[in-house]
Amino acid sequence: MAFKRSNVPGEDIKLAMGMTAERRRLIDETPAAPLVYEYGVNRLAKALHPGFVKAVIAEKTPCSADCVKIGLVPAASGSGAKTAGGGIEPAGGGDPAREGESACGGEFPYFRAGQFITLSCRAGESFLSRPYSIISSPKEALAGSLEIMVQRKGIFSTFLIDEAPAGTELWVGEPSGDFHHDSIRDRNHILAIAGGSGVTPFLSMMKAIREGSEDFRLTLVYGARTKAHIPFDPEDFIGEAAGKGAEKGVNIVVVLSEEEAEGFRHGFITADLLKEYIDDDTSVFMCGPDAMYRFVQDELNSLGFDSSKIRQERNSVGDRKVSEIKLYKLTVHIRDVVYELEASNNETLITALERAGIPAVVRCRNGSCGFCHSRVVDGEYFIDSKDDFRRAADKKFNYIHPCSTYPESDMEIDIPIMNP
Amino acid sequence: MDKYDVIVIGAGNGGLGAACRILNEGKTCLVCEKHNIPGGFATSFVRGRFEFEASLHEFNGIGTPEEPGSTRILFEELGVADKIEWIQLKDAYHLISEAEGYDFVMPFGREAFARANNQLHPDGEKYVNEFFDLCQQIRDAMAYIGETKGRPDPAVMMEKYPDYLACGSYSVNEAFEALGYPKEIVDNLNTYWCYLGADGNNLSFLHYANMIYSYFTKGATIPKYRSHELSLAFEERIHELGGDIWFNSEVVKILTDEEGHVCGVRLKEGREIESRHVIANCSPHVVYGKLMDSDAVPERALKLTNFRKLAGRGFTVFLGISKSAEELGLKDHNYFIYDTADSVKQYESMKTIGNTAAQATVCLNNADPDCSPEGTCIIYMTTLFTDDAWSSVGKEDYFKTKNKVAADMIARFEKATGVSIHDHIEEIAIATPETYARYCGHPQGTVYGYESQYYDGLMNRIQMVEEDRFVPGLRIGGGYGERLLGFPSSYKSGVNEARRTLRDMEKEGR
Repeated sequence: MAFKRSNVPGEDIKLAMGMTAERRRLIDETPAAPLVYEYGVNRLAKALHPGFVKAVIAEKTPCSADCVKIGLVPAASGSGAKTAGGGIEPAGGGDPAREGESACGGEFPYFRAGQFITLSCRAGESFLSRPYSIISSPKEALAGSLEIMVQRKGIFSTFLIDEAPAGTELWVGEPSGDFHHDSIRDRNHILAIAGGSGVTPFLSMMKAIREGSEDFRLTLVYGARTKAHIPFDPEDFIGEAAGKGAEKGVNIVVVLSEEEAEGFRHGFITADLLKEYIDDDTSVFMCGPDAMYRFVQDELNSLGFDSSKIRQERNSVGDRKVSEIKLYKLTVHIRDVVYELEASNNETLITALERAGIPAVVRCRNGSCGFCHSRVVDGEYFIDSKDDFRRAADKKFNYIHPCSTYPESDMEIDIPIMNP
Repeated sequence: MDKYDVIVIGAGNGGLGAACRILNEGKTCLVCEKHNIPGGFATSFVRGRFEFEASLHEFNGIGTPEEPGSTRILFEELGVADKIEWIQLKDAYHLISEAEGYDFVMPFGREAFARANNQLHPDGEKYVNEFFDLCQQIRDAMAYIGETKGRPDPAVMMEKYPDYLACGSYSVNEAFEALGYPKEIVDNLNTYWCYLGADGNNLSFLHYANMIYSYFTKGATIPKYRSHELSLAFEERIHELGGDIWFNSEVVKILTDEEGHVCGVRLKEGREIESRHVIANCSPHVVYGKLMDSDAVPERALKLTNFRKLAGRGFTVFLGISKSAEELGLKDHNYFIYDTADSVKQYESMKTIGNTAAQATVCLNNADPDCSPEGTCIIYMTTLFTDDAWSSVGKEDYFKTKNKVAADMIARFEKATGVSIHDHIEEIAIATPETYARYCGHPQGTVYGYESQYYDGLMNRIQMVEEDRFVPGLRIGGGYGERLLGFPSSYKSGVNEARRTLRDMEKEGR
C-alpha cells in the first residue's frame, strides 16, 4: 500500500504508535480553565422553555356574559404571595433552597402567537392543571404580562373566576402547541374561525401582526349568540384606536345567531359567508367548540377547500357517556411512592388523579402533547381514536396519555413526577 | 429506596445500555432522566396524523438474524433484541452533488457497491475492492487489539496488519491521496462524512474506513416504530430486571465523599440518593462543569475537557406531506444533497447560518410504506452546524431564523430532486440547536458529542480510556464516550462503562 508520509522507513508506523503520546502532551498543554457548559444556544433554549414558572394573578376583568380576562405577572422571588390551598405540593415546591429559582427575571417566555400555557394550582382538595390560550402578544409576554381568557365551564374555571383573588400564586407551564401561523406550512392569509373563548389565540395573533412579531394577513370570523357574548372589542383591533389594523391585513367579521345588529352579520358561519373571505392564498384555523368544527368543516368541504390546509385547535378530552358508571381501583406509582385511589369509567385518569389531589403532570389535556406519557403496569382502558396521539411504540409497549384515557378495569400505572 | 449500587444519569442510549448491563449482573440500578420519556435523541413525536422520527436516519450494525451485526449481538446479550422489529434498507443512498454534477444511487452489499462504482470510473470496482480489502484488515486489526485488551503483540501487528499500522496516523483526505484513487471514487467514498461530522482533513481514516465498511457490507436498518421503539424496549427490559427509571428527575449534583469517591446524587428538588457508582450519560462539560463542585474536579479533567472540540450542532426539518412518495416521484429512502463533494469546503460553509451546503434527507415511506396514512409521506432533512452560529440568535429572531433555514433546505431539496413538496406540507416541525440543547442539555446543541479530531479520534480514545477518567466511582458513557457518536456507538459506550463499573465494584469488594 502507498501510505508514505516520509521516505524514512517505518516513519508512518512510528507516527501511528506515537499518537497517544502526542494526545497526552496536547492535553497537558491545555489550560485547566473553568468549563463553559452553557452558551447562547443553551440560554435561549431555557428562556423559551423554562418549564413551569411561578406567577401571580394581577387582575381579573369580566369581558362577556361568561368570560373573564385574567392578567398574570411573574411571581417575584420570595414574594410571599398567597399560594392557593395546601397539602401535597409539586416535588420541591416547598423547598426554601429553591426559593426564587422558578422566578423568570420579570418576563414570560417569548412565544408564537396562538400558543397556550398551562395553569396549575391547588383548588380545595384537588390539584388542577388546565391549558389556556394566551391573549397577549409575544412582546407583551417579554414585558412581563400574560393575559388569558377563562370561560366559565367547569371546576377550575369556576375556581379562577370566583375563588382565586388577585395575588393568588399559580404554576405557569411554558407556551406550547402548534396552533400558530407557520410561514412554510401555512398560506399567507389565515381565515380564523372562532366561537366562545376560542377567539383567544386569534387576539394574540392580531396583536402580534400589529406589533410586527408575526407577518401574515388574518380575517377573523367570530360566531356568537348575541353582542353580550362577544368577549372582545373588535374596535381594539381594527378601529381607529388600533391604528393600522386594516392596513396590516387584519379584518374582523362577527356573526350573531340570535340578534340582529348594525355592523354585525346575522346567522351562522356558512359556506356562502366563508367563501367571501377565501382567496387562493388562504389557510383556515379554527378554535371553538367541537360542534362548531363539525358544522364549519362540512361547509368548507362543500366548497372543496383543501383539508390539509385546515387546522383545528383541539379541545380538552372531557367526561364520556357510559351506560353504567363503574368505579375502579387505580394504583399509581410516582417514583417510589404508591397511591391508591378511585377512578370512574366515565372520567379520564387525569381527572381521577386531580380529584385525589395528586400533582400529576399534564399539559394539553387533549391527548396530543405527550407531556403526561405514563406506563401501564396492569389493567384495561379506553382511548377514543380521535384523541389517540400516542406514538406507535407506546401502543406496542403499553403506554398511555392519562389525559385522554378512561379506565375499564382496576388499573396500575406509573406516572412521571410533577417536578417544576 | 434511597440507595442503589449504581445510579445512571440520563436515559439516552448510553444510559439505557449501561443500566441493562448493570442489572444483568443482579446489581440494583436507578436511572434518573430529566425529560419525561427515555431515549434522549432516540425518540419520536406526533404532529397531527404523522409520527416523526427524531434523529435516526439509519442504524448500522444490526445485520440480519442469519448474519447478525455487532449491535444485534449486543442487544441479544442485553435482552432487548426480541423486543424490536427491524426493517432492512434496500439501497445505501442517493447522492446529488451540485459542483460535480453527481446524481446516482448506491446499493448496499460489498460486491454490489463495488460494481456500482464502475458507472463513475471504468476501474471503479477494482479501486473499491482494494479499499475494502484494506478496510477488512483495519477491522481485523481492531478486533485483534480488542482481544488482547489493548496490548497487541507488535510482531503480530507488523506481520498481519502492516497497512493498519501504516495508515494509523492518516486523516481521511491524506489516506485517499496516498491511495491515489480517481476523484469520482474518492468523492463517492466520502459521502458518509456527515455521519461523523468532521471534515476529511481532521477525521481519522481508521475511524471512517471502519464505519463505511460496516455500512456497505452489513447494510442498515431502521426500527419499525421509530427509535422510540428502541428506547421503550430498553425501558421495558430495565423494569423486567427490577431496575428503576425516574422521569422528570434531573440530577443537579454528583456527590463525593472526603476521599473524592462518588457517594450519591442530588435531584433537582433536593432529594439525595446514595450510590458509590455513577454512570453519566451526558456531556463531560456538564459533568465536570455543572454537576460537580469545582474542588472535586481534578485539574486534568478540566484540561482534557477543554482540549476537546464540540461536534456538529443539529438542525432538522420534519415534514408531514399530504401526497404519497409515489405521487411526488420520490423513489429513495436516503438522499445526500451536497453543494460539493469536498468535505472541507462543506464543513467551512456550515459554520454560519445561511449556507445549507449539505443535507441528509430521508423519505421514510420508501423504507416503511406504512409509516404514515395512505396518500401521505414523511420527509425529514438534517444538516449540521460546524460552529456555534446559533448562539447569537436572539429570542425575537429565533422563529424567523429557523423558518428561513428550513425554507432554504426545502428549496435545495426541490431543486436537486426536481420534486415539488412545498405546497403539500401539512405538518412541520423544526429542530434547531436550541431544540437539542433543550431536550438533552448539550452545550451549543451538539448532537455529535466531541468531534472526531485527529488526536481525539476513535483509536486514541479507546487506547486512553482508563487514563481519561478521573473521579473514583464516576464513569461517562454515551455519545461523548470513547466510541464517539452514533446509535450503535452510544449503546456500546454505555455498556462498556457499565462493564468497567462492574469491574470497579468487584475490585472494591475484594
